[in-house]
Amino acid sequence: MAYYVNRNLKMTWWERLYLPEIIKGMGITSRHFFLNLFGFIPFLLGTKKERPIMTVYYPEEQVQYPIAYRGRPVLAQNEDGQPACVACGLCEIACPAYCIHIEPGENSGKQNQYERWPDVFNIDYAICIFCGNCEEACPEEAIFMSDDCEISMLDRKQMLYTKEQLLTPVAELQKRIEFTRNMYAKWNY
Amino acid sequence: MWVDLAITLVKILFIIGVTVGFFAPILTWVERKQSAIMQDRIGANRADILGFTAFGLFHCIADALKMFTKEDFIPDGANKILHTISPIIAVVPAILTFAVVPFGGQYTLFDKEVNLVISDLDVGLLFVFAIASLATYGYVIAGWSSNNNWSLLGSMRTASQMISYEVTMGLTIIGVLMVYGSMKLTTIGAIQEDFFKWGLFLQPLGFFMFLAASIAENKRIPFDNPEAESEIVAGYFTEYSGLKFGMFFMAEFIEMVTIGAIMTILFFGAWHIPFLTTATLLGWFDFLGTTGSNLVVMLIQVGVFFTKIIFFIWLQMTIRWTLPRFRYDQIMKLGWKILLPLSLANILVTGIIILALN
Repeated sequence: MAYYVNRNLKMTWWERLYLPEIIKGMGITSRHFFLNLFGFIPFLLGTKKERPIMTVYYPEEQVQYPIAYRGRPVLAQNEDGQPACVACGLCEIACPAYCIHIEPGENSGKQNQYERWPDVFNIDYAICIFCGNCEEACPEEAIFMSDDCEISMLDRKQMLYTKEQLLTPVAELQKRIEFTRNMYAKWNY
Repeated sequence: MWVDLAITLVKILFIIGVTVGFFAPILTWVERKQSAIMQDRIGANRADILGFTAFGLFHCIADALKMFTKEDFIPDGANKILHTISPIIAVVPAILTFAVVPFGGQYTLFDKEVNLVISDLDVGLLFVFAIASLATYGYVIAGWSSNNNWSLLGSMRTASQMISYEVTMGLTIIGVLMVYGSMKLTTIGAIQEDFFKWGLFLQPLGFFMFLAASIAENKRIPFDNPEAESEIVAGYFTEYSGLKFGMFFMAEFIEMVTIGAIMTILFFGAWHIPFLTTATLLGWFDFLGTTGSNLVVMLIQVGVFFTKIIFFIWLQMTIRWTLPRFRYDQIMKLGWKILLPLSLANILVTGIIILALN
């Protein structure tokens, strides 16, 4: 079916005059111009924290991403320096892009030791699609999406992060942990 | 005689320095930065020298360097001679119009009468329009000689648009001439010492029509059909690169300054401050002696003149970043069916009023 655009817009006499409407439009743009031009002055003098333009000078100036932001997935590291991961492999299965590779390690029956841990835990960020399914699948609160998105490399091989590179202290992830708890509790898992 | 020659040379150097050396490069920066600020962006600020960005001002230098070092490309089948000279034909008239533009009044310096205009022609206004319309040849030849369909389309559009709007422009000027009774730009400027004799009050309709027609002459948005990027690549300068492209660009920016200057002289009180006559200003600085007071007043009035030009450049930039492009038929309709009858009516009404007042 053809798509018809109604060109017969009813314009008032004032709008047909065209000049007043131009002046109105230029009023809007020049209002923005002067607000932004002179709004900088208190910012530069230091009396005002925020300048009127929302755009930031990106590499020099960064904004706090919202907590729901999905950056690169990282491994949570417990207070005693061990990964919280038990190498169950659920994230490996949940991953739609197959970017996680886990080789589990088990203890030899000694007391006061972790039962299972990942010997090898690789995430290839060149493959990862940042969907967050691993975080959702994890039963041990071990893998989380961080707010870090600056993972560009010159070499594709460097995109493969090993366990040591992935480990992040759990204290740094506290906000995201609480956020995931709230979010997944709502969905009745 | 040698003194006169030296004074003229200084004036020529000043005008070329201001237009080509200052306005043309700075306006590339102004164009970017003003559009950015109007659209709540930040704008060009990446070019730096030793970490200083100076609000992106170094982009002018970077631009110039880029233009100089680019390959100067002439396409196959293009007419080499015409392709090479057309940017020159486009840029020279833009600079040449400043020969008759007064950028200040008359001052007595060291017992010498100095008239701040390079050549005080009796037909100054006609000279401006004669020279400005010569630039059309540059654009038409540029499109014609580059052996490119888009260029040819662009130059055809340029030709038709220039012809259409030159008529309006000329007829608008007649109203101004009737009011001031002179074609000498210095005389027109001097008459506007009285605030209520500014062209803006005597010819309000003429002001708006002249603004529209002159933006159309300069081929900037909303009248930028000759170079419409989304329709015909870049119009007449599609096949140009390097410094030749830069010359077309420079011509556009210098023409903006020219338009600002002409509008200032015809409608905006030239170099005069409202309610402050030159005699009053000279009286204020009387303690400096004749030469000193004249020098101070000259500097003030030249500053006022260029401030007014900067205001008009700002106005043109605001229009350029506010309005969308007209369709081709709309441009022709505006030129022939609206502006032309209005300018004729303007002449009629002006004539009737002048008759009635006499």
